[in-house]
Amino acid sequence: MSKKPTTGPALHKVIMVGSGGVGKSALTLQFMYDEFVEDYEPTKADSYRKKVVLDGEEVQIDILDTAGQEDYAAIRDNYFRSGEGFLCVFSITDDESFQATQEFREQILRVKNDESIPFLLVGNKCDLNDKRKVPLTECQGRAQQWGVPYVETSAKTRENVDKVFFDLMREIRSRKTEDSKSTSGRAKDKCKRRKLKCILI
Amino acid sequence: MAPQPVVTGLSPKEGPPGTRITIRGEFLGTRPSDLIGLSICGCDCLLSAEWKSPNKIIAHTGPAKGKGDIIVTTISGGIGTSTIQFRAYHETIGPMKESAVWVEESSIQSLAWGRRNMAPVGYTQEDPLGLSIEGNDKKFPEDIRDIFPEGNGDLSQENFSPGWFLLENHHATSFEDLKAGLAYIKRKVESQKEGQLSFLKSNAGSVLDQLDTLMTIRSKIKEDNKLFGSDTLKDLENTIQSSISSSSEIFRDVLERREKADSTRAALTTLNRHKFLFCLPNSVDRCAEAGEYDIIVNDYSRARNLFGKVDIPIFCKVLEEVDIRILNIRRKLHQQLVQLPQSVEQQKKIIKTLINLEIQQADTKAADGFQAVDPAWDAIEARAKYLEATFKKACSQYSLKDANSEKSKYGGEIGELPNRVVFCEEICEIAASQLPDIWRLGQAYFAGELRGASDPKPGDFKKIILTGIEKMCVYLRSAIFYAFDHRSIRSMFPITWPTGGSTQALSQFLVYLPQCLRFIRIAYASLIQLDLPSEALDIIQKLIDEVRIFCLSSFFKRAIDKIKKLNESETWVFSVEDFPGVTVLPSVLEKIIVETLEEGQNVCMNPEIRENNLMDAHPDAQREVSQRLQDMLIAFCNVIELLAYQINEEDAHTPIVSQLIGFPNANQDGFSCRYSGLSWEQRMLCCLANCLYCDKSFFSYIGSVFVKFGYPTPKAAVDSGRTHANLLFSNLLETYVEHKGDPLVGTIEPSMYIGHFQWNTVEFNGKLRPYAQECCDNLVGVYSEIFTISPLLLHAILEPIVQTVAEELARLVSCVQDFNKGGVIQANVDIRLLRDALKLFSNDTAKSYFAEALEVIGTVSADDNRKIEDTLKVIKEQMSLQILCFSIDGL
Ligand SMILES: Nc1nc2c(ncn2[C@@H]2O[C@H](COP(=O)(O)OP(=O)(O)OP(=O)(O)O)[C@@H](O)[C@H]2O)c(=O)[nH]1
Ligand SMILES: [Mg+2]
Repeated sequence: MSKKPTTGPALHKVIMVGSGGVGKSALTLQFMYDEFVEDYEPTKADSYRKKVVLDGEEVQIDILDTAGQEDYAAIRDNYFRSGEGFLCVFSITDDESFQATQEFREQILRVKNDESIPFLLVGNKCDLNDKRKVPLTECQGRAQQWGVPYVETSAKTRENVDKVFFDLMREIRSRKTEDSKSTSGRAKDKCKRRKLKCILI
Repeated sequence: MAPQPVVTGLSPKEGPPGTRITIRGEFLGTRPSDLIGLSICGCDCLLSAEWKSPNKIIAHTGPAKGKGDIIVTTISGGIGTSTIQFRAYHETIGPMKESAVWVEESSIQSLAWGRRNMAPVGYTQEDPLGLSIEGNDKKFPEDIRDIFPEGNGDLSQENFSPGWFLLENHHATSFEDLKAGLAYIKRKVESQKEGQLSFLKSNAGSVLDQLDTLMTIRSKIKEDNKLFGSDTLKDLENTIQSSISSSSEIFRDVLERREKADSTRAALTTLNRHKFLFCLPNSVDRCAEAGEYDIIVNDYSRARNLFGKVDIPIFCKVLEEVDIRILNIRRKLHQQLVQLPQSVEQQKKIIKTLINLEIQQADTKAADGFQAVDPAWDAIEARAKYLEATFKKACSQYSLKDANSEKSKYGGEIGELPNRVVFCEEICEIAASQLPDIWRLGQAYFAGELRGASDPKPGDFKKIILTGIEKMCVYLRSAIFYAFDHRSIRSMFPITWPTGGSTQALSQFLVYLPQCLRFIRIAYASLIQLDLPSEALDIIQKLIDEVRIFCLSSFFKRAIDKIKKLNESETWVFSVEDFPGVTVLPSVLEKIIVETLEEGQNVCMNPEIRENNLMDAHPDAQREVSQRLQDMLIAFCNVIELLAYQINEEDAHTPIVSQLIGFPNANQDGFSCRYSGLSWEQRMLCCLANCLYCDKSFFSYIGSVFVKFGYPTPKAAVDSGRTHANLLFSNLLETYVEHKGDPLVGTIEPSMYIGHFQWNTVEFNGKLRPYAQECCDNLVGVYSEIFTISPLLLHAILEPIVQTVAEELARLVSCVQDFNKGGVIQANVDIRLLRDALKLFSNDTAKSYFAEALEVIGTVSADDNRKIEDTLKVIKEQMSLQILCFSIDGL
C-alpha cells in the first residue's frame, strides 16, 4: 500500500525493556487498547504505533515491546539502537526482575552511548502490593542513583499506565527540541545526533 | 459506513512464513464474517485469519518476503491502513527449527494454519495446568500403581486418572498453585468451546449450505447406484490403486536417482568432513619436514580421537597409513634427536613430540614397530657420546697437527700458540659449552618436563656428568703433563699426547702454562654456575690444583735456569754495605726469586673461585716449593763456585814471590782488567765473602721472603743451602789458603839458609834475620789483599796460613843440628817476634808450634833472655807498622 508520508505528526519511539513476565506487554496493551491480558505469552518483538495527543499536540507514539526472555537477549542490541526513550519495567513482586534492570540500563547506555537518554524506571504490578518483594525505597534509591524518575504502575488496574508513557514522551520531546536548538557550538553532541538521525531515516 | 480499519499493533512484528501473528487495531470488523480481506506484506492470509474482536485478529503469515503493511478489509469499513509494518524473512530450516513449510511427507506435524504447534517433535509436553514442574523433580515416594490399579498418568490414555497425574507431577505443588492451574485449564477449555460455538453461530449460513450440498450428493449417489450398481466405491478404489501404482511407476526412476544423488551427496559431505583424515598422511610428512611438530601432534591426536574407535574400513585403512607415517616420523625424529650438534631447545622440542606421539600411538598396532622408551634419556646419552667424540676428535686433530708441525718446522711459528695450548683451550671450550647443555637437558628430564615412559635414572645421569668431566680432565692432563719428568704418571693416562716430547717444544709449552691454567679456570667457572654436584666440581678442582702446582714448579725451574746463568751477570762490584766483599750476585738472586714468587702469586698461589689455598691443602706443593728453593740455593752456590775457580790466562802467575830468592817480581801491569780489574785472588775472596754472606744471613733472608709471600718457612731448604754454602766456603778457603800459604811457607827455608848461613856460626847483631822479615812482609801482603776485599775474611784465611808458618818454623828449627849461642839468641828473636806479631791470628795449634820451636832451640840464660827481650823491643818499634797491621782483626 501507500507509503506513509515522511512529514506529519512527530514520532516518538519508545522501547519496553525488562525481564520476562514483568508486564511489559500487559502495560503496552493496556495503554494501546485498554485491555488487560491475563495469559502470559512470551513476547519476541512486538510493534505498536498510534496517534495520541500530547499536551494538545498530536504526536505518534511507536512502541517496541521487546522480549524479556533471556533466549532473545542477543537481538536486543539491534532493537535498542532505534529507541529514543526507554521504559525499564520490573515487577515489584519479583526481586530478580528488579536486579535485572541494572543490566538493562547498562546495555542501553552502552548501545546508546548517552547518559541522559530519556528513561523511566517502572515498577509494575503494584496492585499486588501484598506480595511486594522489592521495597519502595530501594526502587527509588536506584532511580535516584541513575537520575531517572521512578513510577509504580499496574497493568491490571491501569494505574499510572498513561502517565509513564506520556512522561516518557515528554522527555523525548524536550530532548528533541533541545537538540534542534543546540547549534554547531557543541560539535561532539552534534556528531552523535547526526549519527542517530541517520539511523532514524 | 463505519471508519476504515486501521492496524496499530503487531505481535510479533517480524518472522518467517507461517508465523502466528496477533493483529491489533481499530475497526477490524464487527463480527467474523465482516472480515473479508487480510493481506500481510501483500500476501493474502484471510484463510488463516481468526477474528477475535474489533481490536484483534489472529492469523498466520503467508509466504511473503520483506517488509510490508497489514491491510484489513471489512464489509463495514472497507480497505484499511496500518501504522506499522511486518517484516517477513526466510530462515534456513533445520531439524530443530519449527517451521510452517515442512517439505518432508513423513512429518507427523499438522499442516493446519490455525494451530500453532509450540513444541517440536519429541519435546516434552508442557504441563496441562500451565504450572512449572520445578520442585517436583523428586519422585513420588510410593508406587502410584498400587494406589490406582486401574488408572494411568498419561493424558492421552483412555484410563487416564487425574489423581495419578497429580501425584506423579505435582505432589509438591501448593494448593494455591493447583487452584491457579485449574483456573488455567478452565480458561483454555472455555476459550475453545467459545471458539467452536461462535464459529458455528457465525457460520450458520454456510453450514446450511453444506447440508444442502451433502443432500444433493446423496441423491446423486443414489442415482448412480441405480445406473452403475452399488460398487462404485470399488471402482474408485481400483482406480486409485492403479493411479498409485502408475505414479510410482513413473516416479521410481526419479526416486531412485534421487536416492543415489542423496547417497552421493552424503558421501561427498562425509568425505569433505573427513578430508582432514585423508590428507593427514601427506600433511604429517610435510609438517615433519618443516619441523612443525606441534601441528603433527595436534593433528594426530585429533585424528585418533575422531577415528580411532571407528571401524569403518576406509577410515581404519587411512588411519593405519597415518600410524605408519607417524611411526616413520618418530623413527626419523629419534635419529634426529641423537644427532649432534643441535640446540637443547630443539632437542626438547623433539623429545616432547616423541613422547606425545608415543603416548598417542601406544595402543595401536604400529606401536610395536618402534619403541623409544625414553627419548630424553637417549638424548642425554647421545650428548654424552658426542662430548666424548668431540674430545677425541680435537685430540687427534691437534696431536696430528703438532706432529706435522714438529716434522716440518721445529716448534711451529713464532707468535702462534703451540698446538698443545690450543688443544687445551679447545677441550675447555668443548666442556664449557657441552656440559651445561647435558646438565640442562638432564634437569629438564628429572624435573618431569621431558619424562618418558620409564623412570629416570639419576645415578646414571650423575655418572654421565662425572665421566664427562673426568674425560675433560684426562685430556687436559695428557696434554699438560705429558713428557715432563712424570714418566710414571704418563703411563697412568689412558690417552697420551703423542708428540711434542722434544725439550724445545716442552720449554716452549711451559711458557703457556699459565694460559692453559686460565682456560681451565674459565671452564671451571662456567661449570660452577651450573649447580653441579660438588663431587663433579672437585674433579676439576683437583686438576686445577695440580696444574697450579705444576705451574709454580715450572716458574721455579725457570728461575733455577736463570740462576745457573748468573755467573754471566757478576760485576764484582761490592753491593752490601755491612758485608764487605759481597758482590751484586746475591741481590740479583733475590730479584729473580722475588720476581718468580710474584709471578707464582699471581698465577698459581692466589686461590680463585672454589679453589683452595695451595700450600695449605697440598703437602706436595710444600715439598715441591721447598725442593725448588733448595735447588735454587744450591744452584747459586754452584755459580759462586764456578766463578771462584774461573782462572784466566792473565791470572796464571804467582803474586807472592820471594825477593830474597830473586825471582823476578810479577809485573803489576799484567793484571787483567777483565773482571773489573780484580785479580783471581781478589775474585776468590769475593766468592768467599759471598759464601759467608749466604751462610750467615742471606739464605735466611731468602727464607723470610718466602714467608712474606705466604709460604711456610722453608727451613729445611735454607738450612741445606747454608750447609752447602758453608761447605763451599771451606773448599774455597782451602784452595785460597793453599794458593797463598804454600809459596809463602815454601820461601822460608831457602831464605833462612841463603848465603850459606849456619845456625852454629851466628853472630847476633841485634837484628831480625831477613827470612823472618820476609815472612812477615809476605803475610802483610796477604793481609792487605784480604783487607781490601773483606776484612771479615782475615781471620778465616790468616789463621791457617799462620799455622803452617808456625809449623814450618818448628820443622826448620828441629832440623837444625847445632845452634851456637848467637844462633840461639837469633832464633829466639826471630821466632818470638813472629809469634808475638801473629798472636792475633794464631790458633792453639799455631801457638803450640811456636812453643815447640822455641823449646827445640833450647833454654836461654836469664842474661841472654834479657838481651833477647831488649832486642825484640827495639825491632818491634822498628816494625811497628807491620805489627799494628796484624793487630787489627777485621771482625
Ligand atoms: N496482577 C498483575 N498481573 C500482571 C500485571 N502486569 C502483567 N501481569 C501478568 O503477568 C504476566 C506476564 O505479563 P506480560 O506482560 O506478558 O509479561 P512481559 O513483560 O511482556 O513478558 P515477556 O514478553 O516475556 O518479556 C501475565 O500473566 C499478566 O497477566 C499487573 O500489573 N498486575
Ligand atoms: Mg511481553
